[in-house]
Amino acid sequence: MIYGIKQVLNYALGRDIAGRTLAVRPDDTFIVSYPRSGNTWTRFLIANLLFAGQPVSFANIERLIPDAEAQSSRYMKRIRGPRVIKSHQYFDHRYPKVLYITRDPRDVAVSYYNFSRKYRHIADDYPLQQYVHGFVTGTLLSSGWGTWAENVGTWVVARNGRPTFLLLRYEDLLAATQTELAKVARFFGVDASPGELSRAIENSSADHLRELEKKEGGAWVTTKNKRSDIPFIGSAAAGKWKSVLPGAAVEEIESAWGNTMAQLGYELVTRKAESVETQLAAMAVLREQEE
Amino acid sequence: MIQRLVRGTRRALGLHHPGRNLEVWPDDVFILSFPKSGNTWTRFLIANLMYPDTPADFSNINRLTPDPEASSKRELARMPRPRIIKSHQYFDPRYKRVIYVVRDPRDVALSQFHFYRKRGLLEDGYPPERFVPRFVAGETTPYGSWGENVAGWLATRQNRPGFLLLRYEDMLEDAARELNKVASFLEIPPDTERIANAVRRSTADEMRKLEKSQARLWSSTKGTRQDVPFVRAAQSGGWKTGLPEAAVAQLEAAWGHLMKHLGYELLFPARTTNFDSQFVETMLNGPSR
Repeated sequence: MIYGIKQVLNYALGRDIAGRTLAVRPDDTFIVSYPRSGNTWTRFLIANLLFAGQPVSFANIERLIPDAEAQSSRYMKRIRGPRVIKSHQYFDHRYPKVLYITRDPRDVAVSYYNFSRKYRHIADDYPLQQYVHGFVTGTLLSSGWGTWAENVGTWVVARNGRPTFLLLRYEDLLAATQTELAKVARFFGVDASPGELSRAIENSSADHLRELEKKEGGAWVTTKNKRSDIPFIGSAAAGKWKSVLPGAAVEEIESAWGNTMAQLGYELVTRKAESVETQLAAMAVLREQEE
Repeated sequence: MIQRLVRGTRRALGLHHPGRNLEVWPDDVFILSFPKSGNTWTRFLIANLMYPDTPADFSNINRLTPDPEASSKRELARMPRPRIIKSHQYFDPRYKRVIYVVRDPRDVALSQFHFYRKRGLLEDGYPPERFVPRFVAGETTPYGSWGENVAGWLATRQNRPGFLLLRYEDMLEDAARELNKVASFLEIPPDTERIANAVRRSTADEMRKLEKSQARLWSSTKGTRQDVPFVRAAQSGGWKTGLPEAAVAQLEAAWGHLMKHLGYELLFPARTTNFDSQFVETMLNGPSR
């Protein structure tokens, strides 16, 4: 009963977490990804690009690009438009404009495992393979966002190819940050010079974010009261799964999502994707769209 | 603030209609479709199949196959399990057992056009060619556009356990055959007589008769124009005469790849590949076949 009254009051005061019930505005732009796919890095890159006048840090990122998964309805309502909003939601048709970041799910699994330890959702000795099973079957705490393939799949099939949707691969962002960020700038309608792009990249580097996390991690909504011995900013690299994931775990991920992975250009090691011609044709389309 | 307080209290007491915020149980089965795709017919078929002793009608259908948009949270929580829930929602990862009914979007657009006339949202004489662009943009329902709704479910669930895809057109062709698939999905013995009975009790004629006497009792038809029927043509291909060619072209340009995937023949096949269809097509072909 007390719990009920508290909930009513929270709701009445707008203190409930926005999340999926966020009131979306027609001029909102969303940075969407599955968790652990480079969303925070992208947030910093974009914040440094859009708000070049001020140093972006964990102390002001929630004001510049608020996190709908962490902030209240009231907080989100008070942000002046046009808002740029961070989200992990699977497809939501109300989102008018979306930058979607995808990352190799094998790396996402490894990163998520460490994150779950940081959040004390699992113990340090929790078997990685068992974790991956939960990751694939959608039985982890994160299942509110759907599984990786549900999250990526719903967005990509519903929106890819439209002018209001930009698909980015975390791996491309790592390998060619400047080129990819230029695409992002265009998507946001920002005319950024090479110098401005480099400055945004420099101010968002993994090393810089690690330093900021050390100083400000205790106060940031996402890392507050979490284990500080495991960093939020992980390896910021691609392909770590090759040395960390057990073979059976790789096989489980690929057998569940191989086709979607191959469509996104993530090479499979335990099975062949569907017909090669279709794959190639699909990749050609992807490339064309990128150009 | 006052409004949120009232709404919050109704919420706490479970008096609100939960809609998308429905509390989902693992044994829930969903009868899912985009609006105007044969959902009500499917509900009648399945209700008559599941509960042969209670012939389905418009006064009990919301109890037999509850609708989270029309029943309160409290009522929904008290329904006997497993619940067979009617829904139009676009993809929701919590729904684990889904019967998805899909219909040619050209017919869906036409049907929705007439339904909106019935609800007084469109005046008589409103041109369909002005309605279709809004339909394509997903502005006519809170469930995403037709393509977003269908693609979201197919890309995540097609050819996986816990998902049964039915085409409205196949149901029209042979309802008993399709209901047989539903029976095995729901693990009901495929008794020919029982299925034939369910089909007989759910024909368009039967439903029209029921609508005449009960339209004012049912949540979806209460307070709407009674001169435009809810149970309409119950046919496929009405778009060929009911929609102007330009509107058809527009629908096909937006969703041609999905329509082809579902076996709907295109009138303008050459104009349809502006969306990167190959990519979507392979995504849709599922994990391992």
